Amino acid sequence: MMASSNAAVIQTRGLSKRYRKVTALSEAAVTVPEGRISALIGPNGAGKTTLLRLLAGLARPTGGEVAVLGSPPSQDPAFLAGIGFLAQEIPLYRRLTVEDHIGIGAHLNSRWDGVSVRRRLESLGIPLDQTVGTLSGGQRAQLSLSLTLAKRPRLLLLDEPVAALDPLARRQFLAHLAEAVAGGGLTVVLSSHLLADLERVCDHLILLAASQVQLCGDIDTLLAEHQVLVGPRKDTTAIERDHTIVQAVRTARQTTLLIRRKGPVIDPAFEAADVGLEELVLGYMGQHAGPAPAQLTTIGEDQ
Amino acid sequence: MTWLVWRQHRNEAYFAAAALAVFAVLLLVTGRQMASQYHSALTACAASHSCGKLNTLSLGTPVMFLLVTLTAVVPCLLGVFWGGPLVARELETGTSQFAWMQSITRSRWLTVKAGWALLAAAAWGGAVSALVTWWSSPVNALNHQNFQPGQFDIQGIVPVGYALFAVALGIAAGTLLRRTLPALAVTIGVFAALRIVVADYLRPHYITAITTTFSFLHPPPSPTGSYWLVSGGLVGPGGQVPSSPANGGPTLSLDGVPISINNMPSACRALVFQDPLKTSSCLAAHGYHGLMTYQPASRYWAFQGIETGIFVLLAAALIAVTAIAVTRRDA
Repeated sequence: MMASSNAAVIQTRGLSKRYRKVTALSEAAVTVPEGRISALIGPNGAGKTTLLRLLAGLARPTGGEVAVLGSPPSQDPAFLAGIGFLAQEIPLYRRLTVEDHIGIGAHLNSRWDGVSVRRRLESLGIPLDQTVGTLSGGQRAQLSLSLTLAKRPRLLLLDEPVAALDPLARRQFLAHLAEAVAGGGLTVVLSSHLLADLERVCDHLILLAASQVQLCGDIDTLLAEHQVLVGPRKDTTAIERDHTIVQAVRTARQTTLLIRRKGPVIDPAFEAADVGLEELVLGYMGQHAGPAPAQLTTIGEDQ
Repeated sequence: MTWLVWRQHRNEAYFAAAALAVFAVLLLVTGRQMASQYHSALTACAASHSCGKLNTLSLGTPVMFLLVTLTAVVPCLLGVFWGGPLVARELETGTSQFAWMQSITRSRWLTVKAGWALLAAAAWGGAVSALVTWWSSPVNALNHQNFQPGQFDIQGIVPVGYALFAVALGIAAGTLLRRTLPALAVTIGVFAALRIVVADYLRPHYITAITTTFSFLHPPPSPTGSYWLVSGGLVGPGGQVPSSPANGGPTLSLDGVPISINNMPSACRALVFQDPLKTSSCLAAHGYHGLMTYQPASRYWAFQGIETGIFVLLAAALIAVTAIAVTRRDA
């Protein structure tokens, strides 16, 4: 057991997961305070799904410690009652009806809000007597979220829930989510490639690349800590000594640096500018993506 | 959880119930006919004091015998249709993740699912076996064949053991392989192989068989009732048993005991094809005795119990392996 800080819903230390020869997650240190909507961002294969599955107790870590809602994830009903997990494939019983799924939830959960889930599905226009296999992808995602929320979890783990949705359904889904969080007592970790969507609803960031946590914290704080410096092509060792250079792009005449500040930047040759979420994310992901910038431009679009 | 199992599998249950109902009607109708045919034959032969010749009576139709013989594959079908997909389909479609994130333990999930599947298999296998046993009772009384391989496997309680084992095998294979189709192939292969190994190599040795020798001049002191003749053979004039296996090569049935023709002295061997009736006196004249190894009829239920026990224990072991895989492995 680890002593969890009072308001952290998720706290991990050295959390690792190896599958035979592949390291899916290495030495991850993640803290998510209560009431946040955390964006879990990273390129494909960075370990986002692995992290979410470890937090949900669907996979066991091969190293390190993890505390979720104050205890290590387990198959104990008391733990599971506090967690809502939405897998990327949105697995539901295709041959059963929507109503059947509400019944399953009611039978398998001690805290179950059957009234609100019916009302919500009604307002979304999802017929209760329809089999799930005949619903659209958006309706299935909405149904899955509604069922998960009806458990009244304290932590919601969503693995790319909006990837398959059209822009309107995506907006509805996120509105639905924001509304649930506004009700209080709910913390969310949401993985997605859609930065614009995440920027709208999230106030916390976990950035994964190459199986490692690159950044974890409050989005506003992280943005304030980073700066883009644009200046002439020249020696940057002085800046490197004072700050951490996340990414450096050098053209024939110009140098663009993304830095994590450790104090004020005082080199007059460089012009400092604030950094946006997208720049920040791309900067960190670019560190590990090698020289091919083409890979980076796909971020923020449907894959 | 039972509610979920019923929602998920009620169509299979309805289908199985319907199939069983059709089978039951067929067997009840033809079985009643057969029973009355047998009883009127008994009454008639008692009146004319000719019941010794009753074994020439022919009961039932070939189609019905074929159908009843085919019930030997019922346990395997249950393993394939109920056992194999039970966990594998959930792992394949990811619905296990949905179920495992509800507020119940995975072990409870498995216990209820597997429990109902095994219970249904035992009930279904038991019902089929009970019908076949009842249907076969006039034939058993007439031919005393129900301890023989083939009949032994479709009557009494062993089909329940087979059904439990097949379903447990399907569940375990599906869980370990995580995919339905390979699980079905493994279920069929392992089930068939194990049934053959047990029936051919283990079953004759559950209790040491009784071996007797008999003279070909007198009718053998035949065991009574539905005994199981495991093998027959020859004992030479010096007491030696010929080296060639008793059941290898062509055999001639003498007094109901199969005798390997290759083991006969050449003088008698020639008679087999010319005048089979003289073969036994020829063998007796050359100092040969008959040898028979059998399991008496009184051991029938002991054998049924032992064989059922073996398969039930194997089923329990497979369920234990499944439980470990479900609770310890990553979803």
